[in-house]
Amino acid sequence: MYEEPYRWIEAVGNRRQYLDEQFAKGSPVVALAYADGILMLTVSRGTPKLYEIYDRIALGGMGHPADLEKLRFSLLEMAHVEGFNRSPSDVTGARLMKYGLAPTIKQAFEEIYKAPFIAKILLAELGVKPDRDLFLSINYDGNFEESRGWAALGATASVQGRMRRYVESQPAVAQAQLAQAVELALCTWAVGSLAQAVSESTAAESSSTQVSEEKTEGNGSSLPDKAALLAHVRQTVGEKSLECVLLERRAPGSAKYRALRPEELGRLLPPAVSAPATT
Amino acid sequence: MGMQGDFFQLLKEQGYQFGSPVAAAAGMEVPTATTILALKYRDGVLIAGDRRATAGNMVMYDRTDKVLEIDRHSVMAIAGVPATAYEMVRVLEHSFKYYRRTQLQELSFEGKLRAVSKLLKENVPAALAGTGAVVPVFAGYDHEQESAKIYFYDILGAEFEAVEYAVSGSGSPTIRGILHYVNTWGPQPLATLPEEQATIQALRLLSSAAEFDSATGGVNRELNLYPVVKLIKASGVQTIPDADLKRLHESEVLRGR
Repeated sequence: MYEEPYRWIEAVGNRRQYLDEQFAKGSPVVALAYADGILMLTVSRGTPKLYEIYDRIALGGMGHPADLEKLRFSLLEMAHVEGFNRSPSDVTGARLMKYGLAPTIKQAFEEIYKAPFIAKILLAELGVKPDRDLFLSINYDGNFEESRGWAALGATASVQGRMRRYVESQPAVAQAQLAQAVELALCTWAVGSLAQAVSESTAAESSSTQVSEEKTEGNGSSLPDKAALLAHVRQTVGEKSLECVLLERRAPGSAKYRALRPEELGRLLPPAVSAPATT
Repeated sequence: MGMQGDFFQLLKEQGYQFGSPVAAAAGMEVPTATTILALKYRDGVLIAGDRRATAGNMVMYDRTDKVLEIDRHSVMAIAGVPATAYEMVRVLEHSFKYYRRTQLQELSFEGKLRAVSKLLKENVPAALAGTGAVVPVFAGYDHEQESAKIYFYDILGAEFEAVEYAVSGSGSPTIRGILHYVNTWGPQPLATLPEEQATIQALRLLSSAAEFDSATGGVNRELNLYPVVKLIKASGVQTIPDADLKRLHESEVLRGR
């Protein structure tokens, strides 16, 4: 029945709707360049969502753990074989994205008889110099984009748009110390997380008005202030765990990736989040 | 499907060959000579090597680095055919990283040792053909046992733990005797030496090796060439800067000048 072009387009449309629903409960991922490198942050429950891919490349993901794991393995394999046969400096985020991830994800998305990958992936690449830092993100349909300075994954384009608006409204952290970058990342994460909660509840009430709702979501409603955002983080972190990894430009040796230990992260958190919980 | 997280297996699946034997041409000399040493001192392990590469009577290169960091906590010092040795280090480096990144945990110290002997075993045909023999000393920090350890190997891949020190290369017979003497009857056992004293011993030992073995390079002050000396402690591998080696060499190794 899918042989007809119209049916196929319809099937792909259904697939989008199905996939969008899958991400609604996921946790956004934020990556930012700061003075000494790149930081990536998310809040996870159970399985980790941030990983090391290669010496200068970190991965953050949203979606089904099994799908993420499969894609992560294919990236690791490609990066290491390439790094061994050529050289570590030939392993770049752009090539991993263009030749490793995008074709696989797009194919799985369009083969409507098979299951798509329930995954959105963000790759952060630490450049030799700060102006070469690069962020690449890919959607479940194989569309990917590059950005500089920062990047984020959220459940929908409108959630990501809101996170973008927030980051752009704040002072830049490219020259800032880690603690300041962590604070901005946390707030941006909270913007995304709150937006997802709102669109999920409204979607539950009436799924027919989704389009108009997304529009207002993207442009209209004002962004919450920092105190509200940090309160949301604090509330969430109580039941889930905060994950934060760094790519440090000045780290000794070739591998620049490092996951922050909980006590280290605790010292970096803004007081509004780290103060002992009273509830 | 092989073992999970096995990078060497992955390479082989892709057609990679390690240590394929090539019959040595008659009279061909392969560069093998060197002196490397590792000793336990107060805070961990010191591992050092000279920097000369030779082919027969020819000095090929005086800036070779034979003490190679495989990761933040392990170092391999190599004596033998450099081409094979460097390839081994590259395979190990990627294997440990691949394991850590896929399995989300560090390969155990024993796992690392096994990886070294596995590679040496793969290399046996090339070693016997005379074109690829490597005799490494592997040292690293074992987090489970909280101590730095030294292992040495024969060309067939057998692994031996060194209790106090290990040496390899053409200059090693000279310094093996000295190490035994100093450790047994010297003012204090090597294992209790502080960092600077251990470094002085290493410099003196390598200078002795260079004195009696033409294939071991000594210190070349004119060109500012010093041996490579690394320390392995709980915090990781640390290389002693040339400036420090120069100072120690001038004050503690040279006599009456």
